[in-house]
Amino acid sequence: MSWAAHDLEPYAFQRHLKLKVAFVPLLIGSYSPDMMTKWFVYGIHIGPWDLKATDPAKFHRGWPGFGFTHSLLYGLVIGLIIWKVFGSKLWGLSFVVGQFAHALTDTGDTVGTMLLFPWTFHVHLNAWAYAGQTGRMTDAAAYFSGLGSMWDAVWMVYGFYSWRVLTSDFFDNYIYRGDRFWPWINRWVPRGALLTIYRAAFFYGTSRWIAWTIWAHVIHHYPYDLSWGGPHWVHAAHP
Amino acid sequence: MRLRLLKDGFPNRPDLRVFAGYVLAAAVYVAIGVAVTDFLLSFWVGVAYIVLAAWAVPTIVRRLS
Repeated sequence: MSWAAHDLEPYAFQRHLKLKVAFVPLLIGSYSPDMMTKWFVYGIHIGPWDLKATDPAKFHRGWPGFGFTHSLLYGLVIGLIIWKVFGSKLWGLSFVVGQFAHALTDTGDTVGTMLLFPWTFHVHLNAWAYAGQTGRMTDAAAYFSGLGSMWDAVWMVYGFYSWRVLTSDFFDNYIYRGDRFWPWINRWVPRGALLTIYRAAFFYGTSRWIAWTIWAHVIHHYPYDLSWGGPHWVHAAHP
Repeated sequence: MRLRLLKDGFPNRPDLRVFAGYVLAAAVYVAIGVAVTDFLLSFWVGVAYIVLAAWAVPTIVRRLS
């Protein structure tokens, strides 16, 4: 489970791959494994009903469950569908890069991902605790107290080091020029707004990393535990 | 030559002005988010906020002045 890396990684890839990838499908690929499942992992209230997975970790990352969305095969299949349906190899490939980044990043926690699905073995490095089953707030507190948040910080620092990818020159020369999506949407949305939308995921990832860190450690005083597999004050799920 | 290389590695003044605007927008976003954590949960709320704060408001202010 990562809270900001999936927002920030696409900018790092964009820095190195430039015109070889398109930013929008790269970002969609990076978000795609969690798109349909996160709400059911944490649970929601609809009127008198509480909807939540009975085994959130298994539902999110396992089989039977939606764990296949975190596999390399899923990225390749959806990338291939995008290529064939929309006729854009660039979009298909960019989706694959983003989805692979998400699937690989999530191997860092204690549940890991079934990278080689249909082989259901979970690749997991155990670097930080998976605590999605404890609910959103405890998960946030735990995540921002362990190595997961430090991994996010690495991407954030690398993003600032790669500041040129966020400039208007880079947007004009690589992002806008490299993908027909941008000129198409520019017919209705002004270029200044598009530049802001391009920067939005970096803004969102960085700002909420700071906000959750303040919430966890300044407002609520949850203890940091940067040991491997921590924080150990929360019950970590395992495959 | 060395000084020039060093200068090229850093953002210029207009870039820094844009960055300062985003920092200001981020400070407000973080303050709201810490007070009301639901504000932090949606990517689309984040996108709407930054488009409003970093593009719409400055554009309107520029047109009015």
